[in-house]
Amino acid sequence: MEEFFTYAPAIALLPLAAFVVALVFGDAMPKKGAIAGIFATAGSLGLSLLMLAAVASGEVHHETYYEWAVGDTAGHTAAEGIAFTFGILIDPLSALMLVIVSLIALLVHVFSLGYMNAEGEKGLPRYYAELGLFTFSMLAFVFADNLLMAFMFFELVGLCSYLLIGFWFRTKSAPSAAKKAFLVTRFGDYFFLVGVVAIGATFGTLAFAGDGSFVAEAEAALDGGETLFGFDAETWITITGLLVLGGVIGKSAQFPLHTWLPDAMEGPTTVSALIHAATMVAAGVYLVARMFGYYALSPSALAIIAFVGGFTALFAATMAVVKDDIKQVLAYSTISQYGYMMLGLGVGGYVAGVFHLMNHAFFKALLFLGAGAVIILMHHEQDMWKMGGLKNKAPVTYYTFLAGALALAGIIPFSGFWSKDEILYDAIILGLESNVFLAAYAMGLLAVFFTGFYTFRMVFLTFHGEPRSDAAEDPHGIGWSVKAPLVVLGVLSLVAGVANLAPVGKLLDLDIMFLEGWLDGEYGGLEELTYGFYGDMLPYETALIGGSEETTLLVAAALSLGLAFSGAGLAWKLYNVPEPTEHTQRLGGARDVLRSNYYQDEVQVWLAEGVTLPVARAADRFDQTVIDGVVNGVSSVSLFGSSWLKRIQTGLVTNYAALLVAGFIGLLLVLGVYGGWFL
Amino acid sequence: MMLELLIGVALVGALVTFVAPNRIAGKLAFAISLVPAALSIYLLTAFDGSGNALLADGGTIAFESSVEWIQFGEYTISWFVGLDGISLPLVVLTTILTTLAIVSSWTPIDDRESQFYGLVLFIEANLIGVFAALDFFLWFIFWEAVLIPMYLLIGIWGGPRRKYAAIKFFVYTNVASLVMFGAFIALVFSLDVTTFALPEVTAAMLNGGPQTEIFGLGGTSLASAVFLAMFLGFAVKVPIVPFHTWLPDAHVEAPTPASVLLAGVLLKMGTYALLRFNFTMFPDEVISTFAIPIAVIAVISVIYGALLALAQTDLKRVVAYSSVSSMGYVILGLIAFTQFGVGGATFQMVSHGLISGLMFMAVGVIYNATHTRMLTDMSGMADKMPIAVGVLIAGSFAYMGLPLMSGFAAEYFIFFGAFGSEFLEYAPIFTALAMFGIVIVAGYLLFALQRAVFGPYELETDYDVGRAPLHDIAPMFVLLAIIIALGVAPELIFDMITDAVDPILEHGGES
Repeated sequence: MEEFFTYAPAIALLPLAAFVVALVFGDAMPKKGAIAGIFATAGSLGLSLLMLAAVASGEVHHETYYEWAVGDTAGHTAAEGIAFTFGILIDPLSALMLVIVSLIALLVHVFSLGYMNAEGEKGLPRYYAELGLFTFSMLAFVFADNLLMAFMFFELVGLCSYLLIGFWFRTKSAPSAAKKAFLVTRFGDYFFLVGVVAIGATFGTLAFAGDGSFVAEAEAALDGGETLFGFDAETWITITGLLVLGGVIGKSAQFPLHTWLPDAMEGPTTVSALIHAATMVAAGVYLVARMFGYYALSPSALAIIAFVGGFTALFAATMAVVKDDIKQVLAYSTISQYGYMMLGLGVGGYVAGVFHLMNHAFFKALLFLGAGAVIILMHHEQDMWKMGGLKNKAPVTYYTFLAGALALAGIIPFSGFWSKDEILYDAIILGLESNVFLAAYAMGLLAVFFTGFYTFRMVFLTFHGEPRSDAAEDPHGIGWSVKAPLVVLGVLSLVAGVANLAPVGKLLDLDIMFLEGWLDGEYGGLEELTYGFYGDMLPYETALIGGSEETTLLVAAALSLGLAFSGAGLAWKLYNVPEPTEHTQRLGGARDVLRSNYYQDEVQVWLAEGVTLPVARAADRFDQTVIDGVVNGVSSVSLFGSSWLKRIQTGLVTNYAALLVAGFIGLLLVLGVYGGWFL
Repeated sequence: MMLELLIGVALVGALVTFVAPNRIAGKLAFAISLVPAALSIYLLTAFDGSGNALLADGGTIAFESSVEWIQFGEYTISWFVGLDGISLPLVVLTTILTTLAIVSSWTPIDDRESQFYGLVLFIEANLIGVFAALDFFLWFIFWEAVLIPMYLLIGIWGGPRRKYAAIKFFVYTNVASLVMFGAFIALVFSLDVTTFALPEVTAAMLNGGPQTEIFGLGGTSLASAVFLAMFLGFAVKVPIVPFHTWLPDAHVEAPTPASVLLAGVLLKMGTYALLRFNFTMFPDEVISTFAIPIAVIAVISVIYGALLALAQTDLKRVVAYSSVSSMGYVILGLIAFTQFGVGGATFQMVSHGLISGLMFMAVGVIYNATHTRMLTDMSGMADKMPIAVGVLIAGSFAYMGLPLMSGFAAEYFIFFGAFGSEFLEYAPIFTALAMFGIVIVAGYLLFALQRAVFGPYELETDYDVGRAPLHDIAPMFVLLAIIIALGVAPELIFDMITDAVDPILEHGGES
C-alpha cells in the first residue's frame, strides 16, 4: 500500500487548486465556487482515507520533498549546517488528523450550500476560495514533518481565519474581530517563532522524526548533561518548549490568549464550525501532540500545560453559563474543551488528549452547524431568549443537536464522555502520586458540572418550551445540504467513542482500545512517535485508589458522570419549562463578572489602547519635536532653505534639471576622454 | 561590456526621454526601461561569478570590466565594474522596480512628463552604477548622482511641503556622504595602496591595516574611527534611528513612483554600502568593538520605528515609518555576522524593496482615486476598489512576514542567523527583542486596514471613486508574483547571496 503515498501531497494541493479556481473563475461557476471546494475536499478525504489504510497496513511515509533554504549553523550546535525543508510525515497521528480535517472541511463546504448560497450573499467566490486556502493550510500543517514548516502553515491558518472572520467586511464589528483574532494569535506566534529559531539554533535540525530529530538531539543533550545557551539542558528544553507553547496558547485559545475566540463569532457560522472543530483552534493542541516527545523531556513544561489546560477548562465553562447568544455559548465551550485536551496532554495522557481532539472535532462541528441550522430556522436570530419550541418544528436539527450536546456534556455513551473521562482518569492517577496535580484534576472535574449546565441550558432555551418570538413560531425551512452534514456528524458523535472504550476494556479485560493501539504503533508507525515510547520518556509516576485500577476507574467515571448529570439536571429544573426566565440575578455580583468575562477583554484593550498607543504617540511627539528638532536646528534647513528655495520656481527647476543631467553626462565624457577611454 | 550596456541604455534613454514630447514620454520610458530589465534578467541567468567581489581569493567577479581612467598623483582611478551574488540581485531589483514605477506613474503624473520620466531613467542608470561599481571614486560619483534626480522628483512633482522635504533629504544625506567620503579617503591614504579599486583597498586593509597615522591615529584605532565615521554616514541613508527623520517627510511629499524607488532601492544603497564597506573591509576585531552598540540601535530601530508607524494616521507615513523598522532587521542581520544573518540581511534588502514598492503603489492607486491618504477620512474602500485593496491586503501580509512570501524568508533568515550568533554577545536576547517587531507591524497594518478598507463605505469626496485602470494594477501583480516566488523558493537568489557572503565571514583570520 506504499504506493498510495505517492498521492500524499495532493491531499493539501487539491484544496489549494480549489482556492485558485474559486478565486479566478468562481463568479462564472454554478454555486459560485462551492463545487470546486466540494470536489477538492472530497478528494482530500478520499486520499486521507487511503493514507489511513496504508498506515493501518503498517506503512509510514516520511519524505522530504523540497529544500526551502540551506545554510550554515552559527556554532552553538555540532551540526555542520541546517536545511529548512518541506516534507511530509504520515504516521498514525497525522493520518488520523488528515481524515478528521478533510471530513469536517467537506461537510462545511456542503453545509455552506444551504447556509451561504441561499441568502443571495455577495462575495461567494471569495468565501469558497478562502475556505479552500484554509483547508490547504491546515492539511499542510498536519502532515508537516518539521517545526518550521508547521509554523509556516500555522501562520497561514491564522491568515485564513482573519480573512474568513472578517468575511462580512462591510460591518464595523467583523473587521474588528478579525483584527483581534490575528493580533492575539500573532502575539502567541511571536513566542512560537522565537522557539522555532531557538530550537533550530540549538540542535541544528527542526525535524519531528527520524534519526536527527530535534527531540532525539534534545534527549541526547539531556543524557550527556550538556550546557545549551548557558543553561543546563533541561532548563533550555523547558524554555524553548514553553516558547513554542505560546503559539499553542494563542491558536488554541487558552488562558490568557483566549479572548479572540468569542469575538470570532462575527464570521459566518460555517467558518466557526471549521475554525473550532478542525482547523485554527485544533492546530494548537495538535502541535503539542505532534511534538509530544519534546515536552515529555520537560516535567515543568508538562505541568504548565496541565495547569493552563485545567484552569482554562474551568474558567471558560463558568463564563459560558450566562451567555444569551447561542454561538457565544459554543465559543466558550470550545475554549473549555481545548482546555481539557491540554490537561490531558499535560498529565501525560497522550492518547486521551488526541481522543478528545477527535471527538470534539465531530461534536463541535455538529453543534456549530446545528447552530447554523437554528440561525436559518430563526431568520438570523441568535439570541436564545427569542427561540424556544423548535424541537417539534425541526426534528432533524433537534435530535442531531441533542446528540452533540450529550457528547459535549459528557453523558454516557456519547463520544465526549469516553474521552473526557479518560483525560480525568489520567489526571487523577497522576494526582494521587504527585498531589499538586490533584488541583488540575479538580478544576477539570468541576468544569464538568458547568459544562452539563450550560449545554443543557442552551438546548432547553433553544428547542424546548414555547416559541418566544415570531421567528420561532414560523421557522424558515432547511434543505438537504444542511441536514445531511448534521446527520453524519450526529452519528459520529454517538459512536466515535467506540474507538477507545478504555474503562470498558480495562474492567472487562477486553482488547478494544483501538485508538491507543493505533497511536502506540500496533498497526504501524515510527517507534519514536508512539505512545509507548513517550510513556517511557515521561517523568511521571502514577498511583491508584486503594491500589486498584477498577476502583479508580469506577470512582473517576462516577464522579464525572455524576457532576455532568447534576449540571444538566439543574438546567432541566431551571430552563426546561414552557416560559423560562433568566435566573442569572441569583448570581449577584458574580453575574456581572461572568458577563464581562472576568474583565479579560478590558485588560487587553487597555494594554493595546491604554498603554501601547499612548506610548506610540509619545514616541511620535518625541520624534517630531526632539529628534527632528535637533536635525532642523543643526542643519538650519528651514533657514537657508527658505531663501534658496525661492529661486526654485517651476521654470527654473526644469532648466536646472536639464543642466544637471547634461552636466553630469558631460563630466563623464570629459573624464572619459581624459582617461583615454575612447582611444 | 554587459554592465556598460545596461548603464548606457538607461543613460541614453534618459536623454532621449528628456527631449521627447510629453505626450509619449511615459510609454517611451517604459519601452526603454524594458531593455535594462531584460538585460538584468539575462545577467541573472548568465551569472558565472563566485565568491565576493571585494575578496577575490579564488572567486570570480562576474561581468567584470576594468579600464584605467584617471591618474591622480600616484593614485589610479579606474572605470571598474562587476557583480557578485550580493550586487546582482540588487541590480535586478533596480531595473524591475524602475520599469514598474514608470508604469505606475502614468496615472498620477500629468505635468512635464518628459522630464519626469527622463529623471527616473537617470536614477536607474546611477543606481545600477552604485551596485556595480568596484572603484571607490566611480562608486561615489554614482552614489552622489542618485541624489540629484531624486531631489528634483520630490521637489517638483511632490506634495504641498515638497520643497522642505526635498531640501532636507538632499542636505541631510549629502552631509552624511561627506563624512563618509572624508573618512574613506583618510583610510586609503593611510593604507599601502595606490588605487581606489575596492578589492585592493580591502586586501590592504585586511592584510596589514593602516600603515601611517592620520590625525594622530594609527593602526586599529584609525580603522575604528573610520569604521565609525562611515557607519554614521551610511546610517543616515539607511536610515537608522536617530537619523531617520528625513525619510517620512521625503516619502509623504514624494510622488508615488519616487516613493517606490526611494523605499525600494535608495534605502538599500545605505545597507548595501554598510555591507560592502563596514562589514567587508574591516577586520573582525574592529567590527566586534561596535557589535553591542550596533545591535542596540538595530533593536531600537525595529521597535521604535514600528511604534512610530503605529501612531500615524496618514497611510503613506505608516508605510514610510515601517521601512525604518524593516531596515533595523537588516542591521541586526549584518551585525550577527553569520551566514544566515548577513545573507538574510541581503535577502531582506531585495524583499523589502519589492514589498515596500508594492505597498507604496497600492497606497498610490487608492490616493489617485480618493485624493486622500488619511485613515480618518476613509472607510470601506474594499467595496469600491476590490482589486487594489486586495493587493494592499496581500502586501500588508507580506510586510508582516507571512510565510510563503519573501518577507518571511528574509526575516526568518535574519532571526535564525542572529539568534545563534557567537560573534554578537547576548545575541539571543537582542534577537528576541527585535522579533517583537513582528507583533507591532501586524498591529499597525491591521489597524490601518480596518480603518481604511473595511467597514461601511464612507468618504467625502467630489471625485468619482471606482476601479483602477489595468496599468495601475498590473505592476502590483508583477511584484506580488515575485514576492511569492521568492517566498516559496528563496534559493532562487539565496544561494548566490550566501556564496558571496561566506568569504566575508572567513576573512577574520587573515588580518
